[in-house]
Amino acid sequence: MFLEQLSGNLVQGVVLGSVYGMATMGLSLIFGVLKVVNVGHGAFVMVGAFVALFFFNTLGLNPIFAIPAAFAVGIALGLTFYYAAIRKLLHAPELATLLATFSAGVLLEETIKMIFGSEFRGYNWDVGNIDLVFTALPMSKILAALGSVLIAVLLYVWFKRTRAGSAMRSVVEDSQGARVCGINVDGVYAMSFALGIGLTVASGVLLTMFIPVGINPYMGGGYTLKAFVIAVLGGLSSPYGAFFGGLVFGLIENTSYTVFALIPGVEPFALTRFLSFLILLIILLIRPTGIIKAK
Amino acid sequence: MKNRLRPYYPLLPVFAAYLVLFLVGRNVTGMWQLAATLVFYCALGQAFNIFLGMTGYVDFGYVAFLGIGTYGMATAITGLAGYPQLGLGIVAIGFILAIVMATLLSMAVGAVALRLRGAYFAIATIGVNEGFRYLIEGANLWNGSSGMIFTAQLNEILGRDLSSRIMTFWADVMVLFIAAAAAVVTLLYMKSKIGYALTALREDEDAAKVMGINVTKYKIIAFITSASFAGTVGAASWALKTPYVFPPEVFEIHYTIEAIIIVMLGGAGTMLGPVVGALIYGISKYYLSIFLPGFQLFIFALVIIFIIVMFPEGVVGVIKGKTRNTAIAPYIM
Repeated sequence: MFLEQLSGNLVQGVVLGSVYGMATMGLSLIFGVLKVVNVGHGAFVMVGAFVALFFFNTLGLNPIFAIPAAFAVGIALGLTFYYAAIRKLLHAPELATLLATFSAGVLLEETIKMIFGSEFRGYNWDVGNIDLVFTALPMSKILAALGSVLIAVLLYVWFKRTRAGSAMRSVVEDSQGARVCGINVDGVYAMSFALGIGLTVASGVLLTMFIPVGINPYMGGGYTLKAFVIAVLGGLSSPYGAFFGGLVFGLIENTSYTVFALIPGVEPFALTRFLSFLILLIILLIRPTGIIKAK
Repeated sequence: MKNRLRPYYPLLPVFAAYLVLFLVGRNVTGMWQLAATLVFYCALGQAFNIFLGMTGYVDFGYVAFLGIGTYGMATAITGLAGYPQLGLGIVAIGFILAIVMATLLSMAVGAVALRLRGAYFAIATIGVNEGFRYLIEGANLWNGSSGMIFTAQLNEILGRDLSSRIMTFWADVMVLFIAAAAAVVTLLYMKSKIGYALTALREDEDAAKVMGINVTKYKIIAFITSASFAGTVGAASWALKTPYVFPPEVFEIHYTIEAIIIVMLGGAGTMLGPVVGALIYGISKYYLSIFLPGFQLFIFALVIIFIIVMFPEGVVGVIKGKTRNTAIAPYIM
């Protein structure tokens, strides 16, 4: 019985973990290239969730179409925010970008609240279930996981095979050197920031498959914390590290929930969230460069 | 001969502001609540400024220290409810417990987070608040998510009249004293070795280290001081004013945002900054909630981005730059 539950949870963990991984790639990309921590990360995820909600409930469209739309919204938000604030703050003390991204998150939350209101909403995209021996998985979750893997692979190819991708990698390596070689470093910064935000907003669409009634303007806070744990697991500046960090985190989260549920008198959900915080502190303490070595 | 009191002049405008707040709240009918809120913001800003202003590190989990202070006072009142002979001593014990618990938590957090720099520090602290709240709820500490209500105990120990006087009046006066004490400590730190060490650290941490400054030690001093002041603010303005504690309310990240806005608006690392920031923020929030309800956070988020981009030194920073070498310069710091 317990083993059955555990293996069911492990499968769920891998599925959820790949979406978590994809939801963190944007954060790591932005930190890797610009050395800016997007403290408002969760708010951008939330915007993506609302794009999905709008597509499904208002336009009556399949949430898959919401992914490119959310990506475009993210690119637009990213470019606006980069040119309005981040660009001027790159050489200011770290405090400045931390507070600016934090405020941007609050700004997004309040804007969405004004448009959609603050009550919890959701939608149910029913495309059947897949029956495994020990657990049943909704098809929508499987599609979300496959979508995440696909996006991660596309990003990988884009990084390795295109000129823009190699320009970005060279800036990560050495921004001074890249500038000397004639790379438009400011352009690369703008592009990376926009791409990072685009990925983050698009991931919000995929995450909605896991939260049937959990869409709310303030839902992002929990994802910011999770994304930090995942990003730090993966070494903070590598998008692929982040993807594998997400898988590991999904597994930890689901397993620990199963284990905590066995202890009487505690609330397993709350303890799972405490555990993710504890993992964050421990990794930062012993290995701030990440547990997973990405190439 | 040099005026020996001159270094203490910057306290005058701060204390004057507090006195005016107190008198306006006392004598103008219907103003006590607004004055009390403003005093709370001043205290929050002064306490937060000791760490953020002096070190330039952002602690996104700051409200956890207010929360733990609230629990300190709550624990004292509920735990010692069987000893009515303690009388007002129970409030004193509550404050001591609040300070001790906030100090312990800040030592635990600081031991990990203060080894980290810049971005990594911010990441480590952003979870403190949530992590601690979920520990209380998950492990059912202090009644877990059902919280603690101790109005009855307070009435029993101190009598109904006195405890309602405390809730409606003395709790706010205590916050006023805490704000004043935080200002004094800020000044003492700024004038001492701690202030110089932290200034060096804020400007260039590596250079400060090379010069032989034990940066970690001074960061920890500022962190613990700031946290224990936050604990007393929580104990006075939450636990004594409204005698109940619920984890989602006291660990609300909202208060961290407010503390950041107040300090940045007034000018981080200045003496008068938190007071100016608190007054601007508190009064405009009050009127915005009347004329544009629901838009306060939206407007303040825009304001803070604007401040960071356009004048990161804050209102007092700008005034300080403009009044250099004038007669009022000694009063502004």
